[in-house]
Amino acid sequence: MTGALARLRGLALILPGAGWLALFFLVPLAIIFVVSLGDRGALDRIDLSSPSFDNYARAFDPVFLATFLNSVRFAAVTTILCLLIGYPIAYWISRYGGRRKVLLLILVMLPFWTSYLIRTYSWMIVLRDNGVVNSLLQALGLTSQPIILMNTELSVILGMTYGFLPFAILPLFVSIDRLDPSLVAAARDLYATGRSAFVNVTLPLTMPGIVAAGLLTFIPAIGDFVTPDLLGGPETTTIAKNIQVLFLANRDWPYGAALGFVLMVVTLAGTLVAIRTLRREVVGS
Amino acid sequence: MTDRHAHDGSSIDLEKALVRYMVERRISRRQLLETIARVGPAAALAPVIAACTASPPASASASPSATPGASAGSPSASAEPTPLPSPESELFIYNWTDYLADEVIASFESSYGVKVTQSFFSTTDEMYTNLGTDGGGYDLSFPISVDIPGLIEKGTIIELDPAFLTNIGNLGAEWANPGYDPGNAHSVPYMWWTTGVGYDTARITDELTSSNALWDARWANHISMLDDWQEVFGLTLIQLGYSANTENTSELDEALARLQEQKPLVRTYSTDTIGTMTSGDIWIGHIWGADRYAIQEVNENVVYYIPEEGGVKGSDALAVMSGAPHPIAAQLFINHVLDAKNSAANTNLIYYMGPNAAAKEFILPEILDDPTINPDQEIVDKLEELLSLSQDVRDEYLSRWQQLRG
Repeated sequence: MTGALARLRGLALILPGAGWLALFFLVPLAIIFVVSLGDRGALDRIDLSSPSFDNYARAFDPVFLATFLNSVRFAAVTTILCLLIGYPIAYWISRYGGRRKVLLLILVMLPFWTSYLIRTYSWMIVLRDNGVVNSLLQALGLTSQPIILMNTELSVILGMTYGFLPFAILPLFVSIDRLDPSLVAAARDLYATGRSAFVNVTLPLTMPGIVAAGLLTFIPAIGDFVTPDLLGGPETTTIAKNIQVLFLANRDWPYGAALGFVLMVVTLAGTLVAIRTLRREVVGS
Repeated sequence: MTDRHAHDGSSIDLEKALVRYMVERRISRRQLLETIARVGPAAALAPVIAACTASPPASASASPSATPGASAGSPSASAEPTPLPSPESELFIYNWTDYLADEVIASFESSYGVKVTQSFFSTTDEMYTNLGTDGGGYDLSFPISVDIPGLIEKGTIIELDPAFLTNIGNLGAEWANPGYDPGNAHSVPYMWWTTGVGYDTARITDELTSSNALWDARWANHISMLDDWQEVFGLTLIQLGYSANTENTSELDEALARLQEQKPLVRTYSTDTIGTMTSGDIWIGHIWGADRYAIQEVNENVVYYIPEEGGVKGSDALAVMSGAPHPIAAQLFINHVLDAKNSAANTNLIYYMGPNAAAKEFILPEILDDPTINPDQEIVDKLEELLSLSQDVRDEYLSRWQQLRG
């Protein structure tokens, strides 16, 4: 009797979350899928009278391949950079932050207090031909002509890494902070060098945090639209931009929905592989 | 800026909404300052304040005495010169801020005994949303020409009664039969503008006249093009001697090849031309002519020209809504705006040329002498308006656009 009651109470607890997900994730996802089966009718309305998978065949048009690879490359490089930069920061805050840990974490999140768009526009001021970096290089006599930084892959990756870094630091911090320091101490007692203790103890035990940080960076990064569009140039078009063009310029919502759905499935598949690898690595051992 | 490009402007256009948020000023600050100097800040800013607070003056159904738009819009086809019906006592205009001269409204009010109420929008998205399918309670508004076929199809605007439009002969010959609305049956053009080239004279000392300058390797990495497929293809097609609205795919292929030649030189494709042209990165850019004032405010060295090969022009039009509570007053007002002196007064306020040939003698010399506002007839003849293309044709353009941008 009490067991059933407890289970009921448990259900009540997840109800808001489940309802939220159903309403704002599953329902839109279903709508996207249904739309993707339709046809663009007269006046650009969505025509669902003869559903088919034709749009999916079109979604694999090779013209999209280059932009898809751009998206994957930007997201992958951004994720790796975020982990490489974020891990030492998270480690340092956890181990040496002391009483200031909370303050330091607030500093990590501080950029969120300003609109992402404004921060991205600020990068333009830093990177443009007569911007901060080029002025500095020229004042130091290192270059005579401005180096082109804006509207390049470099500016896109800089902007994305900057934008996603806090999303990587927070889960990394949690998993590093939860690691019992006495395990590292024990490794050192057993004559492990500092490096060997890190590679064999700290790193594997914080792997869940690394994977979480990687996913939290990679998934939004692959769909990022604003950063490549604002900081990028002619060669940095992403798949998200193609989807936008299909929706707004072609006004072909079914086609755009199909391409969007394919992107989602690819991302989901990647995520599942990552999680499975993690489970094997952490739970399996 | 230019969200006249409503063909791109569905409601979820995140990027454009964001960019607009950063840069959009339909009326440039320079013009606003001039207005302030002329009439004082309170009066100059009143429309801005009104725009922030205004709501539709009344819903169509709220005025039971209203004459249904359709009945007035479709004339009873009597050849007899029957006296025109007298106008209603009010007129609701939905407009851009500072887009109609005060004296034009005042003279209409006094000669017809109609009280004119204006409400304001600041983007075309806002306008079309609030107009809905029947005008949302407004009588008259200013849709972009390229959207007129869609508005006719959806029944948002009515067919105009020629009996009211006694001044229509004032229109220049090139406006008598526009592609978007043959015979001006549903709309009357109001103002027109161009898309062209802006360049920084501090960087580029040559005097430029051709759109080929956007392909000049000397400015490599400092060239920007609009992130707007129809504008970019329009410029290129006209440069190649074709129509900006061509349906010939081999002409489109040629334009694509020409654009692919240019791509390695291009720094960015962007609609935020005010941002790019003032960043210092761009020396020469494909820009909406109306943006030049905002650009010149930051960098006075930037000049604008319409390519000698011709270019893309845009226009907006006066149209009466199908749910208009006061369709007679609205049509009489359109005729009032068609009057040469009134048309000139509007041009003198906003520095756009109107389609009104008779108005020229009343327009300020500084406007008439500016070839970027009032180009020579030779160039005017080579300007072409972008049309709303059929789905298949649009897809032909866009598959090539994706190839270029991919």
